[in-house]
Amino acid sequence: MLGFLVRRLGQGVLVLVLISLITFFLINLAPGGPSAASRFETTAEERAALTKQLGLDQPLVSRYGQWAGGVVQGNFGVTLNGGQPIGPILRQRLGNTAQLGLSALLLSVVIGIPLGILTAMRRNSVLDHVVNAITTLGMSIPDFWTGIMAILLFSVVWKVLPSSGLYDASAGFSAVGWLQHMILPAGVLAFVMLPNLVRFTRSSLLEVLGMDYLRTARAKGLREQRVIGKHALRNAFVPIVAMVGLILPALLSGSVIIESVFGLPGMGRLAVDAALGRDYNTIMAVTLVAGAVVIVTNLLVDLTYSLVDPRIRHD
Amino acid sequence: MKRRTMTLILGTLLAGAAGAQSADPNGTVTFVTTADPTFNPWSPNAFVESNLINELLFPGLTRWDKDLKPVPDLATSWKASADGLKWTFNLRKNVKWSDGQPLTADDVAFTFNDLVLKKELGANQGSTWRNSVTKVNVVNPSTVEFILSRPWASLPTYLAYYAGILPKHSFQGVTDPWKFTAFNKQNPVSSGPFKISQVVSGATVRMVRNDNYWGGKPKLQGVTFKVVPDSNAQLAQLLSGDVDLIAIGNPETVDRVKSSPNLAIDIATANIYYFVALNQDDARFQDARVRQALLYAINRPAMISSVLKGYGQVATGPIAPIQKTYYNASVQQYPYDPAKAKALLAQAGWRPGPDGTLMKDGKPFVISMPTASYQQLVPISLLVQQYWKDIGVKAEIKTMDWNSYIQQVIVKRDYQASAAWWSTPADPDVLPYYDSSAANVGNNIPNYKNPKLDTLLENGRKASSQLARRVVYNEAQALMAKELPYLYLWYPQSITAYNKRVQGMRGITQAADFQYANEWFVTK
Repeated sequence: MLGFLVRRLGQGVLVLVLISLITFFLINLAPGGPSAASRFETTAEERAALTKQLGLDQPLVSRYGQWAGGVVQGNFGVTLNGGQPIGPILRQRLGNTAQLGLSALLLSVVIGIPLGILTAMRRNSVLDHVVNAITTLGMSIPDFWTGIMAILLFSVVWKVLPSSGLYDASAGFSAVGWLQHMILPAGVLAFVMLPNLVRFTRSSLLEVLGMDYLRTARAKGLREQRVIGKHALRNAFVPIVAMVGLILPALLSGSVIIESVFGLPGMGRLAVDAALGRDYNTIMAVTLVAGAVVIVTNLLVDLTYSLVDPRIRHD
Repeated sequence: MKRRTMTLILGTLLAGAAGAQSADPNGTVTFVTTADPTFNPWSPNAFVESNLINELLFPGLTRWDKDLKPVPDLATSWKASADGLKWTFNLRKNVKWSDGQPLTADDVAFTFNDLVLKKELGANQGSTWRNSVTKVNVVNPSTVEFILSRPWASLPTYLAYYAGILPKHSFQGVTDPWKFTAFNKQNPVSSGPFKISQVVSGATVRMVRNDNYWGGKPKLQGVTFKVVPDSNAQLAQLLSGDVDLIAIGNPETVDRVKSSPNLAIDIATANIYYFVALNQDDARFQDARVRQALLYAINRPAMISSVLKGYGQVATGPIAPIQKTYYNASVQQYPYDPAKAKALLAQAGWRPGPDGTLMKDGKPFVISMPTASYQQLVPISLLVQQYWKDIGVKAEIKTMDWNSYIQQVIVKRDYQASAAWWSTPADPDVLPYYDSSAANVGNNIPNYKNPKLDTLLENGRKASSQLARRVVYNEAQALMAKELPYLYLWYPQSITAYNKRVQGMRGITQAADFQYANEWFVTK
């Protein structure tokens, strides 16, 4: 197990180095420059001064070296468009995205897996068809549209939830206040993630339900709940856990749209703003952190397999 | 240029409008901004999202009155020397920074000498200032002298245009003013009617009244700016009552706002003009007849109806009608006239080829026209392309993101035609946008060079009386309308939607209104 961990972590570091190299040279080859030096009214003289200040007059390789040297020491540098240290911004934004992403994941899992199980157990029933229709909708409708419609209904028409923004805890934390701000964005993001989880759970369970060992279990007189709960789900859960692992990176990318629509200051919006503003340092930091999250998530999923199915060993 | 988005007139938010209603002493208002602001008007990182906030924090030596003329703010009076090369400003006494320190001539000198005029810093508008101002001298704690290299009659106007004074004592020991995060992003020492109380990156900027403000205690308890980048989300927040005022970018949403009983719409103009720039490095566009033809070919009233839903006025030149003293309407006009356009092009040697495209010397009239997917630039470019096609001129549009557009059009000047806009101080001095010296390296985007216009604009800067300036700029406008350094499209009207509870705004332009924020209040 320890060998497996060390090997996987080593691979992860190598992947991150490759990601950083590819990202750095790609974004620097892309047209346009940092917003700080790309104003419509900036004169050539001002642009030259700003380019020098931002270190953009240095050769690409030496800039990468400086950046990588900083990262190794835990320093992501400063934003090109604002001169702020990136570390604190990342921490704050990652926290906000984690709130959104984990809330959405929780909703997806709590609603999606039971729904998948139910529809598998009641295949071709009315419930199955209704859920199938809803999940098809969820997969088809773009998340930005769902978000705008949710704001229109809950905030503008019914005025029951805030239209956007972050919960302000400056006057003291309130769980109700936090929920009010989080329910719409997390709900919309979950609605986008849910269909995959429902369908995957359903098909995974259906596959298991047809197996011989379950027929044996039923023949022995076990109640259906026990057959499903103890025997079927255990085997069906391995691919479901893998699916949840796949959803996590998707949550990161989904947050880009949702955070923009709901005005949430998270990693997604930071990434979009940095990309549009050609803030190379911030793009690098966001990419690296997102890459690390995906790598760690995959590792955790792999480790979870052995908990769900003891036959899987990481030697 | 991006300042245009936030430069609005709030004509109906007049101070007297709520005379009968009582002000809420604990009232606050909530506005929106599109990104985290930078609390330093001179920082190259301060864009449109920062401008209005900086006006609340950092007053300038002057500000605008209702006629957009410069009037006292931190300076109480000023005088130019006979040769126009020295301006003396007397500062308001007993002005304090939000930390209690006195605001003196040292702060003014520091702002200009150590930030704006330092070439290596690349401050916002730095080139404009360095073009005329050599240095700022401290005469005594309440008097400064601006030493100029060339006369600049517009100096008091430019001092009102996002030219806030910064506290010297805050910057002691700071090596890079643009990376001074504690000030620029968190909690600056300021002298305006409001001061920063809390910043949540990507979410909110809270301001509270500054009890040290020289103009008296502001009527509002505070002002909050919510960071809402998306215009649909901004509208939703206004409709749900979460924010009090937004700029409407899409005129189609006006009716939706009008249907809400708590909200009102205000329509106004500012000193903004949209244009199509024709690159003068391209020999085809050096012929004035070609430029005129390409403008005759564009149905500007129809474009105003379709793109702006009628919220605009055909432009005649760079000096907008809002500058009542200087605007000259009696210049050459270009009504939509495709036949005349074709005739002018024929005079210039362009004849229809086999497929209808105009040809000259065996080459078809094809124009590369990069544009940015920003605001209304794409629909404008597409319509212009269609109008030019009708007279046999083919425009090839390439759409890109804003920063790529800047690099291609502004930095490399790699374009033949491009639509954009200028938003400038309400002053007839348009030298930075037309002077030959600004071609290729400055704000003269079309790279237009005309010694006669250069002389006129220089004379405009030298003219000391209003009458003398009017004479010069009337002639300059006539020349520009005939010559068309830019193809002038329209002066857009700005649309503001606001909650009726907000009162006390003067109704000048939004930029000007924010210079009188101590007068705002909300009704109980």
